[in-house]
Amino acid sequence: MLFHLTDRITGYEPGRSIRARKVTSRSEPYWRETPDGPVMPAPLILETLCQAGAWLVMLDTDVRRRAALLSVSDARFLGTVRPGDVLDVIAGVESVSEERAVMSGVVEVAGRTVLEATDVMCALIDSAELDDPATTRRQLAALREAGR
Amino acid sequence: MTTPLLDEPRVMDLAVAATASGLDTVVSLRPGVAAVATKNFPATTAIFATHFPRFPVVPGVLLLDDLARLAALVLAGDGGPDRWRLAAVTRIRFRHFVRPGDVAELSVEVRSDGDGSTLRGEVRVDGKPVTTVGSLVMRDTTSGAVA
Repeated sequence: MLFHLTDRITGYEPGRSIRARKVTSRSEPYWRETPDGPVMPAPLILETLCQAGAWLVMLDTDVRRRAALLSVSDARFLGTVRPGDVLDVIAGVESVSEERAVMSGVVEVAGRTVLEATDVMCALIDSAELDDPATTRRQLAALREAGR
Repeated sequence: MTTPLLDEPRVMDLAVAATASGLDTVVSLRPGVAAVATKNFPATTAIFATHFPRFPVVPGVLLLDDLARLAALVLAGDGGPDRWRLAAVTRIRFRHFVRPGDVAELSVEVRSDGDGSTLRGEVRVDGKPVTTVGSLVMRDTTSGAVA
């Protein structure tokens, strides 16, 4: 699986918040069988929030910095995500320094909250260490273009 | 065949348990108490292509998922682990990266101060803690009150 859990950036307030969308499909490989039918593993719901936060950092730093997950104080998985659900991911900055950012946020499906996460701390690292910045810029442009 | 001295709870075969939970080996499993398992991350792991192209590391949330699946095994008893889902996590710390070729040793233990379905978890590589989780709160999806 490609570990790209952001499909569109639907809102951005510089230095403050980001809103993103992840569409799910039965054709994706991660569904977990339960007595109640297939559901998205809860940690992947958390990852949609982390990746939205990472794009927020990249937007704020003109793709110089990227976020790597250091810690999460608290995450509550309040509902299930099923094939075909569309995730509305909203992440906000609690605090930020040169080296670290702390974010909190929610993930909703059709207005129903499926995740609440508090104090997600990320290290802000040189984005060129992780991927070719030109590739990252193209991805970012596509995510924003699609969101218009 | 030996006859057990005590009427021990039925223990799921460890190989069956590993298959049921998507882990590579289950080293030990004490129902309702604790478990230890391993998971290998070979360089062929597909996710390394995008996470990240210049610096492949295991996404931390996937380690969390492995711990949750191991926790479900501990709680499963005679029922299937797939009825347990992760309801909440607190105090997750990612201390070191897990890289291609690493063998992750996963351990979970039911917290004595919880209601019996809250576990602490740890991932080690070469004996060194790489990820720690203060609480994995698990919920039985067949006991009602499911969102």
